[in-house]
Amino acid sequence: MTPSHKKSTSDIGMDGSLMEALVRSRRFFTKGTVSDDLRTISQVGGREADDFYRDRWSHDKVVRSTHGVNCTGSCSWKVYVKDGIITWETQQTDYPSVGPDSPEYEPRGCPRGAAFSWYTYSPTRVRYPYVRGVLLQMFREARSQHDGDPVKAWEHIVENPLRAKAYKSARGKGGLVRATWEEVSEIVAAAHVHTIKKYGPDRVAGFSPIPAMSMVSHASGARFVNLIGGSMLSFYDWYADLPVASPQVFGDQTDVPESGDWWNAGYLIMWGSNLPVTRTPDAHWMTEARYRGQKVIAVAPDYADNVKFADEWLAAKPGTDAALAMAMGHVVLKEFFVDRQTPYFTEYVKTYTDLPHLVRLEEAADGEYTAGKFLTAADLPDHIGDENAAFKTVLIDSVTGKPVIPNGSLGHRYGEAGVGSWNLELGDVDPVLSLLDTATESVVVRMPRFDTPDGAAADLPRGIPVRRVDGHLVTTVYDLLLAQYGVGRSHEGQALPGVWPTGDNRGYDDAQSPYTPAWQEAITGVPAATAARIGREFAQNAEESKGRSMIVMGAGTNHWFHSDTIYRAFLTLTNLTGCQGVNGGGWAHYVGQEKVRPITGYTQIANALDWNRPPRNMIQTAYWYLHTNQFRYDQFGADTLSATTGKGQLAGKSTADVIAQSARMGWMPSYPTFDRNPLDLSDDAAAAGKPIGEYVAEQLKSGELDFAGEDPDAPSNYPRILSIWRANLLGSSGKGNEYFLKHLLGTDSSVRATETPEGQRPVDVKWRDEAPEGKLDLLMTIDFRQTSTTIFSDVVLPAATWYEKHDLNTTDMHPFVHSFNPAIAPPWQTRTDWDAWQTIAEKFSELAATHLGVRKDVVAVPLTHDTPDAMANPHGVVRDWKKGECEPIPGVTMPKLVEVERDYGAVAEKMNALGPLVDTLGATTKGVTFELSKQVDYLRAKNGAVRGGVADGRPSLKKDVNVCEAILAMSGTTNGHLATQGFKTLEKRTGVRLADLAEEHEGKQITFADTQGPPVPVITSPEWSGSETGGRRYSPFTINVERKKPWHTLTGRMHFYLDHDWMTELGEGLPVYRPPLNMAALFAEPALGTVSDGSAGQVEGLTVRYLTPHNKWSIHSEYQDNLFMLSLSRGGQNIWMSDRDAAKVGIKDNDWIEAVNRNGVVVARAIVSHRMPEGTVYMYHAQDRLIDVPLAETSGKRGGIHNSLTRLLVKPSHLIGGYAQLTFAFNYLGPTGNQRDEVTIIRKRSQDVTY
Amino acid sequence: MNEFLFVILPYLCLTTFVVGHLWRYRYDKFGWTTRSSQLYENRLLRIGSPLFHFGMLGVVGGHIIGLLVPQSWTDWAGVSEHAYHVVAVTGGLLAGVMAVVGMAILMYRRRTVGPVFSATTRMDKVMYAFLAVVIVLGMWNTIAGSIMTIGGEYNYREGVSVWYRSFLAFHPDASLMADAPLGFQLHALVAFGLFALWPFTRLVHVFSAPVGYLTRPYIVYRSRDDAQLGSHRPRRGWDRVG
Repeated sequence: MTPSHKKSTSDIGMDGSLMEALVRSRRFFTKGTVSDDLRTISQVGGREADDFYRDRWSHDKVVRSTHGVNCTGSCSWKVYVKDGIITWETQQTDYPSVGPDSPEYEPRGCPRGAAFSWYTYSPTRVRYPYVRGVLLQMFREARSQHDGDPVKAWEHIVENPLRAKAYKSARGKGGLVRATWEEVSEIVAAAHVHTIKKYGPDRVAGFSPIPAMSMVSHASGARFVNLIGGSMLSFYDWYADLPVASPQVFGDQTDVPESGDWWNAGYLIMWGSNLPVTRTPDAHWMTEARYRGQKVIAVAPDYADNVKFADEWLAAKPGTDAALAMAMGHVVLKEFFVDRQTPYFTEYVKTYTDLPHLVRLEEAADGEYTAGKFLTAADLPDHIGDENAAFKTVLIDSVTGKPVIPNGSLGHRYGEAGVGSWNLELGDVDPVLSLLDTATESVVVRMPRFDTPDGAAADLPRGIPVRRVDGHLVTTVYDLLLAQYGVGRSHEGQALPGVWPTGDNRGYDDAQSPYTPAWQEAITGVPAATAARIGREFAQNAEESKGRSMIVMGAGTNHWFHSDTIYRAFLTLTNLTGCQGVNGGGWAHYVGQEKVRPITGYTQIANALDWNRPPRNMIQTAYWYLHTNQFRYDQFGADTLSATTGKGQLAGKSTADVIAQSARMGWMPSYPTFDRNPLDLSDDAAAAGKPIGEYVAEQLKSGELDFAGEDPDAPSNYPRILSIWRANLLGSSGKGNEYFLKHLLGTDSSVRATETPEGQRPVDVKWRDEAPEGKLDLLMTIDFRQTSTTIFSDVVLPAATWYEKHDLNTTDMHPFVHSFNPAIAPPWQTRTDWDAWQTIAEKFSELAATHLGVRKDVVAVPLTHDTPDAMANPHGVVRDWKKGECEPIPGVTMPKLVEVERDYGAVAEKMNALGPLVDTLGATTKGVTFELSKQVDYLRAKNGAVRGGVADGRPSLKKDVNVCEAILAMSGTTNGHLATQGFKTLEKRTGVRLADLAEEHEGKQITFADTQGPPVPVITSPEWSGSETGGRRYSPFTINVERKKPWHTLTGRMHFYLDHDWMTELGEGLPVYRPPLNMAALFAEPALGTVSDGSAGQVEGLTVRYLTPHNKWSIHSEYQDNLFMLSLSRGGQNIWMSDRDAAKVGIKDNDWIEAVNRNGVVVARAIVSHRMPEGTVYMYHAQDRLIDVPLAETSGKRGGIHNSLTRLLVKPSHLIGGYAQLTFAFNYLGPTGNQRDEVTIIRKRSQDVTY
Repeated sequence: MNEFLFVILPYLCLTTFVVGHLWRYRYDKFGWTTRSSQLYENRLLRIGSPLFHFGMLGVVGGHIIGLLVPQSWTDWAGVSEHAYHVVAVTGGLLAGVMAVVGMAILMYRRRTVGPVFSATTRMDKVMYAFLAVVIVLGMWNTIAGSIMTIGGEYNYREGVSVWYRSFLAFHPDASLMADAPLGFQLHALVAFGLFALWPFTRLVHVFSAPVGYLTRPYIVYRSRDDAQLGSHRPRRGWDRVG
């Protein structure tokens, strides 16, 4: 230290003598003390102002709750309350530790969740019940005219065309007025009673999606709808979130790893899933895993937020992902199976996939063949009489060279003989993967292809080694797969016949031959060498790490028309490389918040299975395809999609015909079912003195009775009532929004399409010259905020928010059950969903007791997955009784028919108590039946018993907390007794050890009080396929792999090959690349890239692909109207486009533009960004129509929403049912409401907008 | 009429001024602000604001001398009428020009700089109008009355000032104002209007000018109140135990 610095502090002067003099003078003006060095002044008191900032962050209590918004977050939050007002929320930080070698769950939460409390007191809050004024006035008048009978009053209005039109045409045009709960519930109840009486209970529909986001709230209305016999509409398929490849390949509804398992992956591909944006609270696992050496790849068409985290970015063109995956699969097969055998992979595919199973080849023209059906025991003379022989597949043992019927196939799952043998144990058998070494000959098989830009079908010949088994010419799935992927081999020194990739670099550079890396480059734009290298690295990592390569996939790749082919191309990568059923590996498909962990208990309550079975569960895509009349605007037949190798089974059929066929064959559900009130149908059968099944089959055959779906425009077949809660159908999920407005609601719309010309119209489904408008009599919505749906509703009821009720919430992304808890009581006149539906149920019961009484209802039930129904159609052969191909036999060739007694006056009593069927019949989930009598006793004690009425002595469900307890007590994941019991049941059938998975928690039961404390992980249970035993991270199918428990498929293994008739017809027996639909060819939209000047009657502008990905500033439509999110984003509706596209039509950033296609018109602002690829625009999903939506120039109507440009397109193969894993279950299988193949014209509009 | 304009109205305005400030201080402490727009723009502000504010200090000082100091006092001190006039006009003109030019810059800035204009409230606009009129009229009175002597010479020290002092002493004499030239009358009236608006505008910042900073040490310690246990004052209804 130099001497010059050795001054004491007091020696250091002020900035100058003037300054010093000024400060020194302070002591003359103050009571405080100025220090000698003039640096400080000390005052006595004067801290009153502190109270301001201390009060700002003070609070009276903290309540644990979460958000039920279908974001998959399921984050636990602290909600702060001060002076009875919810003030703000912060993330909970008390998750259990993941263990010493992993990051923790925290932080969990995102800006959207942190902004939620704004809604409690927001201007968009629905505070009171509302009814459209014109309807309310008519109702009051009609009620007094009919001596105060509300049912007659409702009839008076809706059965009079003029009166009905008066209020229906006013929908969406304001005029909602306040009413009381008393009056509103009376209107709603009267509408239900009238509809059930006149048209039938299946004309009533309920829509509330994603039970996992708030199970009690979902169950509230669902329970009511199911008690009266209404139809609950599916959501997973409807949202296009359901990857149809999951039932096809796994025979399971989506089961995926929790986000904590990403940490275990060594190689992670984010493929069409933008983790930081759409999985915000989980994304940290991915960023952390990178520090562990994980390689991260992003496949996205745009420079998305997740791309910056990736080591490499593959910018595949939108919708071409399957081409990239097929090429990667080509490399994996070539380098890890053919050029070199990889023991880990080979063992894995022999045990856990259908690759060694035998497939018969069918002779086509010119001595060439096509792939046919699986060889089964029924095809072998020695086994033809075996139990379920047609459902036992065959493979060849390499030791003996003889065909063997292995354990574990569907035929072993049911029947006496199969007890103890439904497992994947191969014993001494070593399955032969390829027949190449033992083949007697090789034949040429025609492999379908669709890789021309317009997706037209073609095929190419490829040779396959074959042999004969009991006279059948067979090969293995593996040999077919190699042929499909174009991986050539030699047989006895000679190359197999047919067309194969040739040339340098193992043929990878052959751009003409599918599915080489060079071939994909022309389609996806990803360099061939990169595609090959990534595929190689993926497999290399899987080989070295024993399966720890993972593909995170999502809406970006799943919302396409041909998403099932895209996903099967992905799953080929994970399943070939032994990644499935391994922690840190396999598919990780994330879309909606699908996983209801306490599934068994929830299902009993929501489907009202404790009182009557079965429920009416409807596939929503087909429902709206028919009832919003979108089928009237199709310009092509179902056979447009057929392969050249098909047999023409779809020829001449429209999509509506295919839906009708699927329904009448019992494949898919169909509600309303018949063109007669199902209550009357039961009476008619009784009058005829015949059992219902026999009577209905006869009536159908004679044509006296028809399916409602074959004449959806008959007034008696309309859906009449739709109740929506926890959902925003018209602002978020309603593909073909303008068709909804026009035909379902009967109000203003911007539909611009022309109807299907004669010649292409449906054949089996009746075409009425006049398309109906305003089919729906009552649209009721329960919500806590105004949405695009509430403003079109006739009745809007005010709901409690997530900070105002008790409920349960779970997710795929973590293993905890979170509770909702009220921070405040529901304010204004809001009520919890449970309360609201109780109110409606009570009023309904009161009116129904006199108007309806006790009736019998005929429920038509489709063939159902995880039951012996899956064996209704051997070999997946189509048999249509209507075409005389077989007899109509309920439960085999047509839907089952079940009579259900409905005591309409007792609906409210039943709703409020747990019914007796859970004791007598138990509860079945995925084929495992749980015995629940102890749990019912427990609930009787916990919730109290009901006294008097039909539910005398039953456990009460009066309060939402009671329902929470019931759900938790009756599910294996939350009740160790049941998990263990279920595994023991399953042990009997499989003959493998399972119960130990749950035994560590046998005595553990998670009660509602437990969920109110720090997060509690669930228990390993047969309800799901993964294991959390010992605190490991959840990964699906680990039980299947580690315990040799079969998948719920035909072979009991994961399927590469699907032999159903219609799969063959579409050329999708094996993974294949199908490009996005060509809208120019199908609907005469302008070709992509066309710039029109507006001449020749066209709309001027640029034609681009129109995608609706998910938003950074909202979760669906939630939060996009939230002041905080509006401030962070640009606010209002906008469309992202590339700077190059914008320049073509003179659009500048923030300009007002219009997007126009045949389905409708959208007005939005342009966001011009170089992050966007040329030729594609994004309109982020569900921006709703409540903020800044001006009138459109093109239509003169108010500019629409993102779904104004979309419409429903149904893929016939999604309608397959009644065959092995391709059998219906609710939200397990059904046609997807896809929307990504759409195109639109973008035009610059006048910058002066009017509202 | 004169009674109303020069007695009743000014008292009403002055009452509003006083009561308004008390009310504002009581109920809107956190809104007591200059509403500074320095964050949005500072290039023009750096010239305009000091010009205006220092100009206004001069103007206010001039008014205090001119209105509150009776002519008899300056006569007694031997200041000649001419000398007083020269000093007053020179000083007044200098301060006035500064204020006017500063105000012009500030108003130009406020209108043309987008973010600043967006942050301008309706009350601001009304206040600016009054302020501008008062200042312009004041300049006019100085130039027209004292330099160019349009409409004859007027000694405000024998008219307006006397009225003003009588007004403050609660013995108002409206006739004194009634005889003043129109310019002076208008200037006074609009000024009282401005006083009435004052408590409801950003002008309240005049009373919280940070004069104390000139002499304040950097660090201020405030001791905790003896009656208080924690960092928060005990709430009503809660007794301290022990």
